[in-house]
Amino acid sequence: MKLFDMIIMCLRNLWRRKGRTLLTVIGVIIGCCAIIVMISLGQGMNAAMDNMLASWGDLNAITIYGNSRYMWVGDSNSNSEDRPSLDEDALEMMKNLDHVETVFPKIEVDSNYVTVTAGKNGRYRASWMEIYGVDFSALEKMGYVPEQGDYPSGDDTLHTLVFGNEAAYQFRDTKKRGQNSYTYKQMLPDGTWSEPFFDPMTESVLIYVNNMKKQNDDGTYQSGGRAYEFKMTTAAVLEQDNDWQTVYSLMIDMDLAKEIINSYNRLNNVKDAKDPEFSQIKLWVDDINNVDAVETILSDLGYNTSSMASQRKSMQGQLGVVQMVLGCLAAISLLVAAIGITNTMIMSIYERTREIGIMKVLGCFISNIRVVFLMEAGMIGLLGGAIGTVISYVISAVMNTLGSDTFANMFGIYTDGSSPISIIPLWLVLLALAFSTVIGLISGFYPANRAVKISALEAIRNE
Amino acid sequence: MSFIEVTGLRKVYRLGQEKVYALKSINLRIEKGEICCILGTSGSGKSTLLNMLAGLEKPTRGDIIINGVNIAKLSERKLAKFRQENTGFIFQAYNLIPQLSSLENVGMPLMFKGWSRRKRDKEAKKMLEAVGLKSRMKHRPNQMSGGQQQRVGIARAFVAKPNVVFADEPTGNLDTKTTADVMELMVKMCREHNLTLILVTHDLDIAKYADRIVHLIDGDIHSDEVNKAVYDPFADKVDDKSKQPAS
Repeated sequence: MKLFDMIIMCLRNLWRRKGRTLLTVIGVIIGCCAIIVMISLGQGMNAAMDNMLASWGDLNAITIYGNSRYMWVGDSNSNSEDRPSLDEDALEMMKNLDHVETVFPKIEVDSNYVTVTAGKNGRYRASWMEIYGVDFSALEKMGYVPEQGDYPSGDDTLHTLVFGNEAAYQFRDTKKRGQNSYTYKQMLPDGTWSEPFFDPMTESVLIYVNNMKKQNDDGTYQSGGRAYEFKMTTAAVLEQDNDWQTVYSLMIDMDLAKEIINSYNRLNNVKDAKDPEFSQIKLWVDDINNVDAVETILSDLGYNTSSMASQRKSMQGQLGVVQMVLGCLAAISLLVAAIGITNTMIMSIYERTREIGIMKVLGCFISNIRVVFLMEAGMIGLLGGAIGTVISYVISAVMNTLGSDTFANMFGIYTDGSSPISIIPLWLVLLALAFSTVIGLISGFYPANRAVKISALEAIRNE
Repeated sequence: MSFIEVTGLRKVYRLGQEKVYALKSINLRIEKGEICCILGTSGSGKSTLLNMLAGLEKPTRGDIIINGVNIAKLSERKLAKFRQENTGFIFQAYNLIPQLSSLENVGMPLMFKGWSRRKRDKEAKKMLEAVGLKSRMKHRPNQMSGGQQQRVGIARAFVAKPNVVFADEPTGNLDTKTTADVMELMVKMCREHNLTLILVTHDLDIAKYADRIVHLIDGDIHSDEVNKAVYDPFADKVDDKSKQPAS
C-alpha cells in the first residue's frame, strides 16, 4: 500500500467517526495546553529571575577576590592565607583561560591610607574614600559610561581621576559645622538632582598619603609631605550603574595605586610590606553557560570566586522544584488524554472488525493495517497538540495582559512585574507537538496490535 | 502437476474436551481453468475446505499446493503477498466497504498491491464496465441492490487478474433471477480469462454451472464427478442463435 493511500484511509476513518474523534482530540488539547502553559509559566519565572539577577550584576561575570582583610568576602571555612595570591602571574593565567573574554583587575587602596581633598586650601575633604586602581583603557569595555567628561585618554593618565557617580558627595565641607558640612545625592522638588559642594570636572583634586603619626583633632590624618601628594585632574564622572562598589569611589591608574600603597608603606615604616596585589579581578566569560565551568576551574585552584551564575544556579534549583510540580500536574491531564485515545481506538476496532477482515482476505499486509491504526492515533495526538498550541498562545497572551500580579499570586509564582509571566519559546511548541504525537502513537500501539490480530475468518463470518 | 493439489488435508477443531473433525482426509486436484463446485450441506466442512484453500485457516495436517506454492507453510506476510497475486474472493454477504464507492471498492486489492490511484481507477473502471455497472461507479454499496453489490464484489475479485477465484455461497443472499445473472457473469469472466473458480454451495441449481462437482459429506469427499451436462449459458445462446435466429 502506498503511504498516500494509508494517509487517506486514516483521515477517512477519523472523519467517519468525527464526533468521537473530536472528543478525543479535545482531551489531548486540554492535556497539551496544560503542559505548554505550565512550562511557559516556568519559562516566565526563569526570565524574571534572570532579569532580577541581571539588575544585580552582570550574569557573564565572575569576580575573584583577593586576600582582603574584610571578612565579608571570605568564606569562614578556609584560611585565607592558603589562597594563591592575585598577582600579575595569576592575571595572565586567567586571561588565557578558555572562554574568558576580558579581565578587569582592580587594586584597592585602603581607605585608611589616603585623604582626598578638593577646592581652595583643601576645603572639601574626604577621609574614607574608596580608591581603586584600574586599567583605564578597559573602562568602556566594562560598561562604565561617563556622565560628564570622557574616558581617560592620552599618553599620560597617571594623574587622571574618574569619579563614581556619587563620589563627589562623599566630600565634607571643612568650613561648615554639623549637618551642613555633609551633602548627599537627592532629588530636589523641581526634579533635578542636588549638587555636590564642588564640581569635580573643574576643581582639581589632591590625594595625599596619610601620615599615621600626625593625627588631627577630628580623627583625620595629616599629609606625609609634598612627596606624598598627588595632584589629580578629573577626566569623567560616571553614570549611575549597577556596580555599587564604584558608585561612591574614585578610580585611578593601576600604577598610581601601586605607587600610593608603596608610598604609604614607606612613610609609615610598615614592616614586611609586600608588593601590592590585586584586590579583585573581574572576568567576563563569552557565554553565560560557560560561567560555571570557568568558575569551577578557578575555585578548584583555591581562588575565592563569586558570580551571579552561581547564585542563578541555586535559584534555578528552587524554581525547578516548583516547575516540576506544575509539570507533573499537567502531565496527568495528558496521561488521561492518552488513555482516551487508546479507548477510542479500541472502540473503533470493534466497529471495524469486519472491514479489517475483508482487507486481510483481499491481501492487505498486516503491517499496513498496523500503520493505518498507529497513524490514526498519532493524528489525534498531533491534531490535539496543534490546536492545543494555538490555544496555549491565547491563554498565555491573556495571562500576560490581564496582569502578572493576579496570576502570579494565584500560582504562587515569583515575578518582578516587568517580564511576562508566561513565555512560550519555539522549542516548547515543537516539543509539545512532538510529545503529543508520540503520546498518540504510544496510545495507538496496543489497539493497533489488537487490530492486526483479528482473524480474517472471524471477521468475514456470514452472520 | 495440477494447478491445485490438496493431499491428506485434515482439520480438527477442539470443542472443550471433544475433538471435531471438520475435514478428515481430503485429496483433491484441480486443473487450471476448471470451474469446480464444492457441494455439501451445512456442517459438511465445505466452508472449512474453502477457507484453507484460500489460506485463511491453517490445516491441522496436510498440504495445499497452489501454483507450486505450499500455502499451508507460508508466513503471514508471504500469504498476504500470495493472495494479492493469485486469489480473488467473492463472499455471500458481498463484504463491500460501506464508506467507499463501488469504484474504490473494486480498486482495493490493487491498492494493497501498491498501485497508484490513477492506475487502479482505470483498471476498476474497466472491470465495472465488464460487470455492467458503468453507471454505478460513484455509488456506495447501500445505494445499490443485492445483485448489483455482488457484481461489484465479482469485479473486485477479478480486478487483480488472479489465478484462482474463491466464491463462498456467492448467491446465498440473492433471489432466483439475480442468482442466474450473477452465476452467468461469474462463469463468463472465468472462461474469458481461463481462471480457476472454486465455488462453495449447498445449492444443486448452482452446481450445474460447474465443470466438476465435489460432494462433501461429514468432512469426507463422498463423490467427485465431472458434470456431464454443464450448464453453459453462452454456449446455449450461440446454439440458440444459430438454431432459432428470430425468437
